[in-house]
Amino acid sequence: MSSSEDLSASPPNLVTPVTEVPRWRALLTNQLTVLVFILIALMLFLGNHNSRFFTSSEMSFLLADFSGLVLVAVAETFVIISGGIDLSVGSVMAVAGVLAARAMQPLINSHTNEAVVLLLGTGVALLVGMVAGAINATLIVGFNVVPFVATLAMWYGGQGLALVWTGGQPYGLNPGAQTWSAATIPGLPFLSWLSLIVIGITVVLGLVLRKARYGRYTFAIGSNNFAARAAGIGVKKYVGSFYVLSGALAGLTGMFFDIRLGSGAPTTGQTTTLIAIAAVVIGGTSLFGGSGTFLGTVLGAAILIVVQDGAIFVNVSANWVPVVVASVVAVASIIQSGRLRLRRRS
Amino acid sequence: MSETNSSTPDTTARPPMDNSGGGQPSVPLLALRGISKNFGPVQALQRVDLDIPAGQVTALVGDNGAGKSTLIKAIAGIYAPSSGTMMWNGQEVHPHTPRDAAALGIATVYQDLALCDNIDIVGNMFLGFEDTSAGALDEISMELKTVQTLKDLQVSTVKSVRQLVGSLSGGQRQAIAVARAVMRDARLVIMDEPTAALGVTQTANVLNLIKTLSSRGISVLVISHNLNDVFAVADRIAVMYLGNLVSNGPISKYDPSSTVELITTGASERVEPHPLHSFA
Ligand SMILES: Nc1ncnc2c1ncn2[C@@H]1O[C@H](COP(=O)(O)OP(=O)(O)O)[C@@H](O)[C@H]1O
Ligand SMILES: [Mg+2]
Repeated sequence: MSSSEDLSASPPNLVTPVTEVPRWRALLTNQLTVLVFILIALMLFLGNHNSRFFTSSEMSFLLADFSGLVLVAVAETFVIISGGIDLSVGSVMAVAGVLAARAMQPLINSHTNEAVVLLLGTGVALLVGMVAGAINATLIVGFNVVPFVATLAMWYGGQGLALVWTGGQPYGLNPGAQTWSAATIPGLPFLSWLSLIVIGITVVLGLVLRKARYGRYTFAIGSNNFAARAAGIGVKKYVGSFYVLSGALAGLTGMFFDIRLGSGAPTTGQTTTLIAIAAVVIGGTSLFGGSGTFLGTVLGAAILIVVQDGAIFVNVSANWVPVVVASVVAVASIIQSGRLRLRRRS
Repeated sequence: MSETNSSTPDTTARPPMDNSGGGQPSVPLLALRGISKNFGPVQALQRVDLDIPAGQVTALVGDNGAGKSTLIKAIAGIYAPSSGTMMWNGQEVHPHTPRDAAALGIATVYQDLALCDNIDIVGNMFLGFEDTSAGALDEISMELKTVQTLKDLQVSTVKSVRQLVGSLSGGQRQAIAVARAVMRDARLVIMDEPTAALGVTQTANVLNLIKTLSSRGISVLVISHNLNDVFAVADRIAVMYLGNLVSNGPISKYDPSSTVELITTGASERVEPHPLHSFA
């Protein structure tokens, strides 16, 4: 409130000074602070336990895993804030990755310029993802199928198609002497460049959610569909676009896995759907729609990746890792639901 | 416009009330002629004729199921009437969506309040019409306009325009919905039972708001079950009975008991029926 001096030019009895930090934002900021604290504490704990944790190779491994989750999780944030859900993202990643690999393989074998190969693969993956998203959107907006069912069908069908189109075997991508994941172009490993691109896209999406009409309407639709329609917002068009966006980002993530693994595998993304939704929920987004934050999701994704990858540093055996991740999700959800209840009551 | 304690607002700026005398009628802001609406076999509106003059408060009364909500939804572009015409400033119009109606200057404050609980007051005031600069929402500009509009309407009970609408009381929500309409340059604000769920103080606030609107030359069409409210704010009354508009005219022609008679039986010996028909 000390900012009121800055407002000497404003009319006298303003209902609120322009620069006052809104209460809801203070609340969210507070919640984000907690997530940041948890993330830092986790990393310090792991680093303290095992000095290998803070090595650059481990950090770039974490960054790559994070990059394979965050786009899908942020897209899921839009979908969930709008009052829907997209269960299909994991399978869409697999299908897009498989079809991109299928398109790239012959070009690689005939030694086509690698930039061309990568652009083609990215284009195919993006297109496949958008088509899958458009099918979800058509079912949901055109035929009024509830999002849960429409995207569950897409998830299951996508898994099947990924197997059908590969015969169960990954499409190997062996570009010349060196694999893409080991390649280094000016200064940084190729994968780190990709992570930078992923982070760039993520930041843009975050700005869209917070600062653009598109983001405002995402909240409005999830908060009160009727009000959004009464305000003249093309609700169907927007809802459809959320699923297309989600499909597109799942497609790009499928391509990311192709590059990282050096193959298009039908098993890619098997756990991604649930981890992405968990990241959104941990980040404080309500599954009932209407509220949530972009930064919460990003932090939620980071926390889950650190837990998942860090478990081995405290000698958790690989088979137990899902159980540890699940426990973190459960505890975080309990905290979030308590927080929501507190906020409703106040 | 600062005085809101008089229940009969200043009439000097008003067009003359015309449909009871023989003088040349001025063009009403909104004129409905023969509006009918059926839902399957249910005849919700039967050839409704109604004039809404500019700058006046018209109270629409009637028993449950009389067709009041259906009538305002037809005006607001939510239901297409089965037949009939609608004239806006003398021009025939056919609003097919709420947005069409809003473009004409018809704003509806819904019974089920079309506001987003999870969005703050500023965001709700501008929903669908956000100010942007360089692609980003211009929050400062929207906040200043919101504050100014609330000040103009003498809405002083909200603490901060950055409050989530979900944290507001029913009366405050009404005020925000109305302020939103005013900011969109509404010429006619339609309210469906605005005070139905409100306590005494909040009801008084909403009634004051209605008077403020009409003192600013904005017409109000308000559905109410509360005759105290009706006689406190209305310049005109329109009574619906089983889908028919059975009586309408200046409030001076009515008293609470004749109004109750009209609402419950569709007729009253003391009020002539269908005053509009005699002039149309
Ligand atoms: N969407 C609808 N579908 C079918 N019947 C409706 C619908 N809306 C209203 N009705 C019927 O139309 C009549 C008038 O309803 P309404 O306009 O809501 O009355 P009021 O608002 O005066 O209480 C009632 O018989 C009601 O059941
Ligand atoms: Mg009604």
